[in-house]
Amino acid sequence: MAGGVVHGLGKRDGAMKFEGLLWWILFLPLGAAVWITLRTLKNPGRSAALSIGAALASFVLAVIFWAANGWTTGQVSVSWWRIGSWTASFDLRVDPLSLLMLLVVTGVGSVIHIYSVGYMRGDPGYARYFACLSLFLFSMLGIVLAGNFLQMFVFWELVGVSSYLLIGHWFERPAAADAAKKAFLTNRLGDLGFLAGILVLQGVAGTLDFGRLEETWPEQVSALGATATVVGLLIFCGVVGKSAQFPLHVWLPDAMEGPTPVSALIHAATMVAAGVYLLCRVFFLFTPEALMVVAWTGGLTALLAASIAVQQNDIKRVLAYSTLSQLGYMVMGVGLGGPAAAMFHLVTHAFFKALLFLGAGSVICALHHEQNIWRMGGLWRRMPVTFWTFLVGTLALAGAWPLSGFFSKDALLAVAWGRSLPLFVLGVGVAVLTSFYMFRLVWVAFGGPARSEAAAHAAESPQGMLWPLRLLGVLSVVAGVIGIQPVLQAILPGLEGSHAASWWGRLMEPFHHAPVPAAAGLAALLIGVGLAWKGYAGGAEDPVPNRWPVLGRWLRDRFYLDELYEGTVIWFHDAWARVVAGVERWVLNGFCLGLVRGGTDLLGQSLRLLQSGNLQTYALVFVVGLALLLWWTLGG
Amino acid sequence: MGPWSEKEAMTALGWMVLVPLLMAVAVLCVPQSAPRAPRLLTLTALGATLLLALRVFVGFESAPADADGYRMVTEIPGLGAPALGIRCRLGVDGLNVGLLLMGALVGLAAAACAREVQTRTKEFYFLLLLMVGGILGAFASLDLFFFYFFHELALVPTFLMIGLWGRGTDQAAVAYQMTLYLTAGALVALIGLIALYLQVPPELRTFDMPTLSRYFREHPLPPEVQGWIYPLLLFGFGVLVSLWPLHSWAPPGYAAAPTATAMVHAGVLKKFGLYGLLRVGQPWLPEAAADWAWVVAWLALGNLLYAGWAAMQQRDLGRLLGYASVAHMGFVFLGLAAGNAMGMTGAVVVMVAHGLLAAVSFALAGHLYQQTGTLEMGQMGGLARRMPFLGAALTMAALAGCGLPGFANFIGEVTVFLGAWQVPELRVVTVGGLWAALVVGAIYMLRAVRAILHGPPGIAGASGRDIEGGWERWPHAMLLAGLLFLGWLPQVLVGKVEPVAARMVQREPTGVLAPGLEVEGKALTFPAAAAEGRLREVDSVWTGDGGIRQGPGM
Amino acid sequence: MQWTPGLEHYLAVSFVLFSLGLLGVVVRRNLLVMYMCLELMLNAANLALVAFSRFRADLHGQMLVFFVITVAAAEVAVGLALLVALYRQRRTAHVEEVSLLRL
Repeated sequence: MAGGVVHGLGKRDGAMKFEGLLWWILFLPLGAAVWITLRTLKNPGRSAALSIGAALASFVLAVIFWAANGWTTGQVSVSWWRIGSWTASFDLRVDPLSLLMLLVVTGVGSVIHIYSVGYMRGDPGYARYFACLSLFLFSMLGIVLAGNFLQMFVFWELVGVSSYLLIGHWFERPAAADAAKKAFLTNRLGDLGFLAGILVLQGVAGTLDFGRLEETWPEQVSALGATATVVGLLIFCGVVGKSAQFPLHVWLPDAMEGPTPVSALIHAATMVAAGVYLLCRVFFLFTPEALMVVAWTGGLTALLAASIAVQQNDIKRVLAYSTLSQLGYMVMGVGLGGPAAAMFHLVTHAFFKALLFLGAGSVICALHHEQNIWRMGGLWRRMPVTFWTFLVGTLALAGAWPLSGFFSKDALLAVAWGRSLPLFVLGVGVAVLTSFYMFRLVWVAFGGPARSEAAAHAAESPQGMLWPLRLLGVLSVVAGVIGIQPVLQAILPGLEGSHAASWWGRLMEPFHHAPVPAAAGLAALLIGVGLAWKGYAGGAEDPVPNRWPVLGRWLRDRFYLDELYEGTVIWFHDAWARVVAGVERWVLNGFCLGLVRGGTDLLGQSLRLLQSGNLQTYALVFVVGLALLLWWTLGG
Repeated sequence: MGPWSEKEAMTALGWMVLVPLLMAVAVLCVPQSAPRAPRLLTLTALGATLLLALRVFVGFESAPADADGYRMVTEIPGLGAPALGIRCRLGVDGLNVGLLLMGALVGLAAAACAREVQTRTKEFYFLLLLMVGGILGAFASLDLFFFYFFHELALVPTFLMIGLWGRGTDQAAVAYQMTLYLTAGALVALIGLIALYLQVPPELRTFDMPTLSRYFREHPLPPEVQGWIYPLLLFGFGVLVSLWPLHSWAPPGYAAAPTATAMVHAGVLKKFGLYGLLRVGQPWLPEAAADWAWVVAWLALGNLLYAGWAAMQQRDLGRLLGYASVAHMGFVFLGLAAGNAMGMTGAVVVMVAHGLLAAVSFALAGHLYQQTGTLEMGQMGGLARRMPFLGAALTMAALAGCGLPGFANFIGEVTVFLGAWQVPELRVVTVGGLWAALVVGAIYMLRAVRAILHGPPGIAGASGRDIEGGWERWPHAMLLAGLLFLGWLPQVLVGKVEPVAARMVQREPTGVLAPGLEVEGKALTFPAAAAEGRLREVDSVWTGDGGIRQGPGM
Repeated sequence: MQWTPGLEHYLAVSFVLFSLGLLGVVVRRNLLVMYMCLELMLNAANLALVAFSRFRADLHGQMLVFFVITVAAAEVAVGLALLVALYRQRRTAHVEEVSLLRL
C-alpha cells in the first residue's frame, strides 16, 4: 500500500494526534484471530487470553485516542487499488459519531469477551469461538471506521461472515447450521440492494467517499430527481438485511441458535446496530420520500416484532424479537429525521440489551441450557445478582425514568410527536407491548414458584460472569445523562433542547422540552407493567392461548412469515433452478449434444453405405464420376 | 530485486517454460525400479518453475519494456521455423504476468495433490508436466503459432488423464466428449487465427504477435472482415472457456477428472480462451469486439445465472464445482464486454483469482473423494468435526467463491461490476450478475458446506481422516494464502494489469470512465491522439516510441 | 463413287465397342468375362487412337497404341494370376461373392 495521507476535514485544523493508534485499534483483533487460528487452536486458555487482550487493548487505545483528541474529525487514507483515475481507498474516518461507536463497540465487546470465558468453559470449540469473536470485532471496527462505501461494504460482508461462523459454532446441530446459513443468505439479499446502490452512486456522484459525498450531494440532489431517492432506498436495502427489518427480519430469531454471548454482542449490541449506524452516517443521502419509506419500515418492524414477542416462550427468542422491535424504533427515528435520537437509543440499547442477553445466558447456564421460561421460576431468590441486573435492564428497556432507556426512547417519541402522529401512536403502542412482554418474561422466568427440577436447584453464576452484568447494569442506569446526548446533538439532527448544567436539570430535561411524549412513554410503561402483572404474576401457564386461541397461535407462530417465505420465494427460486437443471440435462446435454452425436453417427452410417464391397458398383461409380468430370471441364 | 540485466531476463522466462517440458522427458526415462522418482522429479521441476515465475512477477516493474510493451522478451532457440516466420518468442506484459504466476502456483499444488495416482505414475506425471509446461508457454508466447501449439500440447494430455485415471463409471465417454468438444472449439479459433494471418499482405506476413498487433493497429481491418473473423474467435475461444451455451463439457469433465487434472484444467487451461480474446480478439478486431459486446454480455449472463441455477441442483460435489467454475467465467466475459479499463482489469483479476480458487476447491474435493469414496453430498455430513483443516479450507473456498471481501475474487468482481455499470446498455446484465454473485453463488456454496461439513455425521466419512501434517497441507495453504494476499493487497496485481488494459481500451472507448474523465471516441493511434492533446486526465499515455508519459491526472 | 468411312465412323465403332465393354464390366458377374470386356474397352480406345492417327497424319496416336497394348498385356497377366489365386481360395469366380472389403 502507498503511504498515508491525512485530510483534516472539520473541527480541528492540523493532524490528529496518535493517528497510528487507529491502525492498531482496527488490526489488533484481526491479529489475534489469525494467531489463534494458526498457532493456538489446541490451547483454549491462551486463545481466550489473546482474544480478550486484543479487545481490551483496542478499547484502551480508543480511550487514549479520545482523550488526546476529543470529539474531533479527521481521516487517514491509504490507497488500496487504483485503476486509471479511480482509486479504491482504505480510509479510517474519525468523527464524533464513529468515535462514540468505537468506544461502545470496543467497550461492550471487551465485556462480552470476558463473560464468554465463563459461559463457554468446557466447550470443545473454545479456541475457535474466540478466533471468530476476534474476527467479528475486527470486522465491526472496520464498519465503524470506514470512510467510504466500498470499504463499508467490505466490512459489512465480513461482519456477515463472522456472524455465520458464530451462529454456526455448534454446527453439528442441524438447527444451528441451518440458522447460520439462513442468516448469511438473508443478509446477502440486503447486500444485493446495497451493492446495487453503491454502483448507482458511483455512476451518478463519481465518488464513494463519505466526506466528499457529504459536501457535494446537496447540490446534486435537485439535478438527480428520482435517482436520488432510488440510491437512498438501495442503500437502505443493506440496512434492512443487516438490521433485520421487515421483510428480511426472519434470520434474527433463528440466530439465537448461537451461543448467548454471541447473541448479546452481535445480535443485540453491535452488528445489527451497524445498519442504524450506516443510516446515521449517510443521513444526508436520503430524500424525504426515501425517509418516509424508512420510517414506516421501521415502525412496522417494531410493531410486528413486539406483537410476536408477546407469545414467545424461549427466553432468547423474546429478547431477539425485542431487539427487532427496538431496531425498528431506531430505524423509524432515522426515517422521521431524528438520526441523533436513533443513535442515542442505539448506544443505550447496546448497554441494556447486552445486559439482558448476558443475564439470560447466566440463567441458561445455571439451568443447564434450559431456555423455556415456563420451566423456570423462583429464580429471584436463588440468583439475586442475575435477577436484579436483569430487572434493571428490563426497566431500562421499558423506558422507566431515570434509567437510560427512558431518555433515549423519549427522544425517539419526541421526534415522532413532532413529525408524524400515526407513527407516534404506533411508537407508544409498541412501548406498551414492550413493557408488557418484558415484564411477562421477568414474572414468569424469575418470579413464582420453581417449575422444574433445574430451576429448583439453580445456583448463581460465577463471578466472571457476574461482573459484566454489574458493569452493564450501571451503564444502563446512567447512560442517559452522562453526556452522550450533547455529542450527538452537535453532529446530527433530531435531538433538541439545551443541556442543563445540573444533574437534576438533566434528569428533568425531557419533561420540560417535550412533555407529551415523556408522559406517554411513562404511561405506556405503567400500562404494560400492570397488564403483565395481571396476566402472569404467579401463574403456572400462559393465559393467552386459552382466552384468545387464534390470536395466540398467530403470534406464537410469528404470523407464519417464515412459512410464507419458504412457500413462495424459496420455493420459486428452487423450482426455477430445477427447471434450469432440467434444461441443462435434457435440452443441452440430451438434445443438443445428442443431436451432434446422432448427426455424426448418421453421417458415418450413410457414408458407410457407399462401401458395399461390390466391385461392380465401384466400377460404375467410377465411370459416372469420370463422365461428370469430363462434362464439367470440357463444356457443361 | 535489482534491475534486470538483459541476459538474466532472457533466461528466467525461457527456463520457466522449458523446465517442465524437459523434466517431462526425463520422467519418461525413469526406470520402473524407482516408483517414487517421477513424483519427486515433478515436484522439483514445478517448484523451480514457481520460483522462476515469482522472480518474473516480482521483477516485472523493474524490467525494461520494449517498443510493444513486452518485458523480458526471450527466444528459445531451436524451436520454430524462422523461414516461415515462426519463432518461439516469449514475453510478459501486464496481462499474462499474473496468469503465469497463477499457473505455476496451481501446477505445483496439483502435482502435490496427485498422491491418489498409484498406477502408472510415470506416465501421469509426464502428462502433468506437459500440461503445465504447455499452458505456461501458451500464456508467455509472443508467436501466434506457438500460442496455439502450446495450448494443444497442454490440452491433449487431459484426454489421457481422464480416460485412464478418471473417476466414476463412464470416464472414457466423458474423456471423449470433453476432448472432442474442446478440440472443436480450438479448431474454430484456429480458423479465425489463420484468417487473421491471411489478412496481412504476403510480404509482411509473420507469426510474431507484437508485429501483427502493430500492423492491425495501423491498418485496421474493414468492418465486414472483422465481422466474420471475430465470431470465429469468440465462439472458438468461448468453447475453451465454457461460454454459455457451449459449456456442457465442463461439469461431467471435472467430476470425472483426477484431482490434479481438474485443478490444472479448471484453474489454468480454462483461462487460455479468455487470454486469447484479450490478446488477439480485442486489440486486433476492436470494432467487431465493440459490436459483439452486447452478445458477449448476454451470454455472460447465461454463464452467471444459468450455470448458477444448475449448480443449485447438483448433488455431486464435482459437478457442482464444475458448474460453479462455468458461472465464474461469466464475470470475466462481463468485464470483457464492458470494454473499459475497469472491466478489463477486473476480468484479469477474476481470472487469476478463480484459478487459485478452482485449484483449491478441486484439491479439497479430491481429498474428500479419496477419504470417503464418493462425492455425493447427501451422504456426507458433519465432516468438520473429523476433518477440521478440510472444513476450514472448504469454508474459506466456498466463501471466496461467493465473492466475500478479503479474497481476491471480490476485488475482481467488484471491479467488473463497477466497470460494467458505466456502460448503460449492460446495466441489466450487471444486475443479473449481482444476483448471481451475491445470492445464487452463496446459496449453492453454503448448501454444499451445510451438507458436507455441518449437521450430524452422514454415511460417508465415518472412517476418513483429515488433511494432516505440513506435507499434505501446504498446497491448500499456499493457494488460500495467495487468494488472501491478493484480496488484501490487490495493487500488486492491479498495478501491473491496469496500464495494459487502459491502453487496449483507449483505442475503442465505450462509456465514460468517471465524471470529468472523457476520452474522445475515435480509433486514434496513440501518437496522434496524444499530440493533439485530445486525451485528458489520463493516468498514463503510451507514446509510440516506447515510453510512458505521465498524464496530467497524475 | 466409292464410299470411304470417315473419322466419325471409326469413332462411332470405337464408342460402341467401349460401351459394350463397359456394360459388360458392370453387368456381367463372371470375373473372366469382366476381364474380357475390360480388354474390349482397351481395344476400343486403341481403335480410336489409330483412327485419329490415320485421319490427322500424326504418328503420336499409333505410338500411344503400343503403350496401351503393353499395359493391357501386363494387366491381363496380373489379373488372371489374381483370378486363379482367388479361385483356388474361394472356389468361385463370381464377383458378388468376393465382397469382403465392405464396411
